[in-house]
Amino acid sequence: MDKPNDNELMEQVSAGKVEKLAILFEKHHVRLYNFFLRLTGRRNISEDLVQEVFIRILKYRSTYQARSKFLVWLYSIARNTHVDHLRKRKNEVPLDKQWYEMESTEPSPAEKAEKSQEVIWLGHALGKLPLKKREALILSRYQGFKYKEIAELFGCQIGTVKVLVHRAIKELGKVYFELSGGTAL
Amino acid sequence: MKCNQIKEKFSDFLTGELDKNVREKIQEHITVCSSCREELENLSAIWTKLEVLPEEQPSDKVRTRFYAVLDQYKQNQDRKTVQPRKERFSIGWFRHWIPARPAFQFSIAALLLVIGLAGGYFLRSGWQRKGEIAQLRQEVHQLSRITAVSLLQQESLSERMGGIRWSSQLSQENRVSLADFLRTLDLDISSISPSPNNSLAQSELFQSFSEQASPVVEIALNLVKRF
Repeated sequence: MDKPNDNELMEQVSAGKVEKLAILFEKHHVRLYNFFLRLTGRRNISEDLVQEVFIRILKYRSTYQARSKFLVWLYSIARNTHVDHLRKRKNEVPLDKQWYEMESTEPSPAEKAEKSQEVIWLGHALGKLPLKKREALILSRYQGFKYKEIAELFGCQIGTVKVLVHRAIKELGKVYFELSGGTAL
Repeated sequence: MKCNQIKEKFSDFLTGELDKNVREKIQEHITVCSSCREELENLSAIWTKLEVLPEEQPSDKVRTRFYAVLDQYKQNQDRKTVQPRKERFSIGWFRHWIPARPAFQFSIAALLLVIGLAGGYFLRSGWQRKGEIAQLRQEVHQLSRITAVSLLQQESLSERMGGIRWSSQLSQENRVSLADFLRTLDLDISSISPSPNNSLAQSELFQSFSEQASPVVEIALNLVKRF
């Protein structure tokens, strides 16, 4: 017998078998955490947001419609959760001034220094993008979303998403170029 | 294809969402168009550069907290599935009389409150009236008792007899006390107190003594006899 897919699992959760949510959590929480991490640049906040998303899934599980794709539904909750978080903490330090320092993977000290610098510049550049462009870029580049799925998530045309992603990359490149002193790329 | 049409496809080119024919057309175009080639190279460079942002693992706290929330939710859910039966016991058939719409529920609640307040007001005023009547009745009884005592203390025998009759008509709790009666008896004895020389009175008194049914009067006459 085939394993149930995400949509079928969520239907079961919606019908009352809430313990099935554990399977969906195990499958998606790391990617969701990284979505928030790239969006906010802060680990603690990203963990809290992941927690909040799954609490909301439990809370609104009965609103899940079988015909909609679970991943799109999950990320629509994630986006709303993030926006609510921004509303609550709008007086905080801007994202581009609080970007985290990521660990690089086993490079030489020189490479490590260079790569860490790239990570910081990219983080700052991402943080400077308008929210919708940042979301579109992260979803297509890291979360494996097709333009059609992003369009469904944003409630817009596929063409609009393509333009968003195109402009997001251009703006990101420009900011990154400025931050790196025109030496990188 | 013109430059604008080519540039529209760049985002698809980066994500690989292009069919083979379009991809080949773009590659052909950028070999001859330096502007488009430069833009695509820049976009591809930053697209590739984004790889440096590694995927991280969240701390174990996330998993722990999630399972704690899930367990709590399941417990609440189990409690809710038991509760409806209990509810059926508590309100039973009355539930069918409760309207579904909150507006109607509120109206009925407000109506019941008004009825309750009005009922309470009338009941309280009724009680007050009852209290006044009871007080008046008590005052009348007290007045009757004072009248009876007062009559018993009169010198005239007929008035004292009237006092005894009056007292007998009073209710148990307002009846004249035994002390009052004995005081009356003292008065009567002194009025008929026989002198040692009055043998007629003495014999009449002895005769009266044998005929008395009341133990109190009997005792009193016995005392007179001794003296």
